[in-house]
Amino acid sequence: MSRRLKATERRATILAVAKVLFSDKGYHGVSVDEIARRLGVSPAILYRHFPSKEALYEEVLNEIACKRESYVDAVVNSDGSFDNVLRSITRIYVDSVSKDPDYLRMELQSALEGSSATREFFENRWRPFTDFIEYSVKDLRSRQGVAAVDPHVAALMFQGMIREALYAKCIYQSSRYRDLELQELVDALITLFLEAIGYQAG
Amino acid sequence: MAEFDLELDARGLNCPLPILRAKKSIQQLNPGQVLKVVATDPGSVKDFEAFCKQTGNSLLASSQQGGEYHFNIQKG
Repeated sequence: MSRRLKATERRATILAVAKVLFSDKGYHGVSVDEIARRLGVSPAILYRHFPSKEALYEEVLNEIACKRESYVDAVVNSDGSFDNVLRSITRIYVDSVSKDPDYLRMELQSALEGSSATREFFENRWRPFTDFIEYSVKDLRSRQGVAAVDPHVAALMFQGMIREALYAKCIYQSSRYRDLELQELVDALITLFLEAIGYQAG
Repeated sequence: MAEFDLELDARGLNCPLPILRAKKSIQQLNPGQVLKVVATDPGSVKDFEAFCKQTGNSLLASSQQGGEYHFNIQKG
């Protein structure tokens, strides 16, 4: 029993160290030897837990997937309106990502490295927003609830806005926005977004 | 699958849209009536379990057929 616990702990430590290294240097910039060195173990021990560097990287990504944010709470407790649901799910996502900015760095690294599978993985993390905005804007347009905006472009605008706010606050620690808390900044951006698409509440 | 009173086609939609549409559809039903949801998002299995737990509705049946997920939800 204690041996199994040790193996679980070792695995968690490997994943934590690998995540930091992958987020600093990308997939190609890190070798198995370097991860082992950082852990103070031999590469053989590492291979006992993960058959390859690729498998280890996938497992780091799976850890993110398992932590998939639940937006059920946000929807259940909302009044069902577009602005209310959008604010709630964005708050949950921003909160979760800001607690672990290494994932943001991994997202940037994967974009530079051009791995399509990894790229797709990170884009899927944005799909709750892009899909929700696209479908909602289409629906609202038919009821004159928004201006005549292109739903695809509106979704891209939102994604770019929130992603940049996360980079500014969690990666660059930009002094320009230091007087604004992250959630405050995000709330202000959502207000701007709703104004830009001509959203009419109710 | 049991009979149902209203059907919601949530195929091709990702979280949070199926949950949001289910919430709106259930508002049209009377207590005891059943909403059938068809979805394609694999995450919808966990989402609808959580949805029913939090809203006091009952998940009568949940099944997978090909790439589709079927849920029967009885309004509480």
